[in-house]
Amino acid sequence: MSLLALQDVCKRYSRTAGERTVLRDVTLQLEPGDLAVVWGLKGSGRSTLLRIAAGIEAPDSGSVRFEGRDLAQADEGLLGGGIGFPERGSRSAEGRGVLDHVMVGLLAHGVGPRAARTRALRALERVGAEQTASQRVAALEQDESVRVAIARALTLEPALLVIDEPTKGVDQLARDGVLALLRSLANDGIAVLASTSESTGLAGADRALALSEGELRGAPPAELATVLPLRRPRRAAG
Amino acid sequence: MGAGRVRKQQGNMQSPVNWALLGLVIERPSYAYELAHRFDRTYDGALSLSSTSHVYTALAALEERGLVEEVPGSSTGRQPKPRYRAPQGAVELYQQWLIGQLAEERRRQRLFAIELAALMGRPELARGVIDGYEQACLQEASDPLPSQDANSEEKVSQLADRLIDEENRLAVGAHLAWVQYLRRELQAIGEPASPRR
Repeated sequence: MSLLALQDVCKRYSRTAGERTVLRDVTLQLEPGDLAVVWGLKGSGRSTLLRIAAGIEAPDSGSVRFEGRDLAQADEGLLGGGIGFPERGSRSAEGRGVLDHVMVGLLAHGVGPRAARTRALRALERVGAEQTASQRVAALEQDESVRVAIARALTLEPALLVIDEPTKGVDQLARDGVLALLRSLANDGIAVLASTSESTGLAGADRALALSEGELRGAPPAELATVLPLRRPRRAAG
Repeated sequence: MGAGRVRKQQGNMQSPVNWALLGLVIERPSYAYELAHRFDRTYDGALSLSSTSHVYTALAALEERGLVEEVPGSSTGRQPKPRYRAPQGAVELYQQWLIGQLAEERRRQRLFAIELAALMGRPELARGVIDGYEQACLQEASDPLPSQDANSEEKVSQLADRLIDEENRLAVGAHLAWVQYLRRELQAIGEPASPRR
């Protein structure tokens, strides 16, 4: 049984010009420790795919199972439980301090303020954002904002992180630090499903996937890997 | 030696090994044996010398064209080990050659597009190539992240790695977007004639 399993997921949106299919029989499995990144152009449906994978949105057909449970049948959403969906500071959070912002989920789950503070600080350390604890959410740089959002999700110890465009707007020199963080979380056993509209956001992924015309395409079969036309040699270390 | 004399002769030099060697001499004057080692270390996997003696042939070719010269006083003694340096004119030519690589890359991509367009009469073959090309792009883009930690000695070589990685990743992004365009073109070809877009 996979940690996350999407099977034949379809999603259509109605528009004045007619119906548009954004996901067509999408099938995807994620295991603990997997880092999968979905690339797609604007409007390709990658955000829809992530919302469906996180149980925020329901597919028109097909199934989404997390730890064997059908998300459509789950009485309560799994967000904030087994599934984390880090989102950068909303407008309502902008006036808040980072530490308070990271603690919110824990307090909502009945954790006492002192324990929540300790766990929030630990999560900020884990993502390399401990220096932001006393700052305002609105004052954060884009990469710090992503790290804080991930820290907030981590406080609830999710098995799966679903994160939409974690490198969007992040400074070029800070971008790889965010990707390295996702990689390290996966190395710790958390499954990570991310999206990106930039090819630079695919680096370090176990699986790089492309979403186009509603279809999800993935890594090449092993027999093709030896004849790939693009691969350029890397310099040897030292 | 003037830059003009160097420029006059550079049109004949096609060897990527010679240009690569010139790049090393520009980076730091060295003697031949040291250059051979630096060549292997720097261009490993990208370019190779057929043997260590290849570097002597390449240096002779560069010297003949005035692109390298011996550092005065470096070939004296019982076992002379001449060190080579690059005159200013060679540095300028090297810069121009590097910029010219872009045109070479565009030529290769143009050729690939023409070869692919030739398959458009056989959509199933074209689709197979496009899918494989996209998968190659995805695999390329998901290469491991370059290392961020380095001591001062490693910083230069790691910077080169990061530059290569960044260029690769950005180029792959353009290729991935191009594949989406290709698919739509292919789809349009298969559809009944109607005003396009």
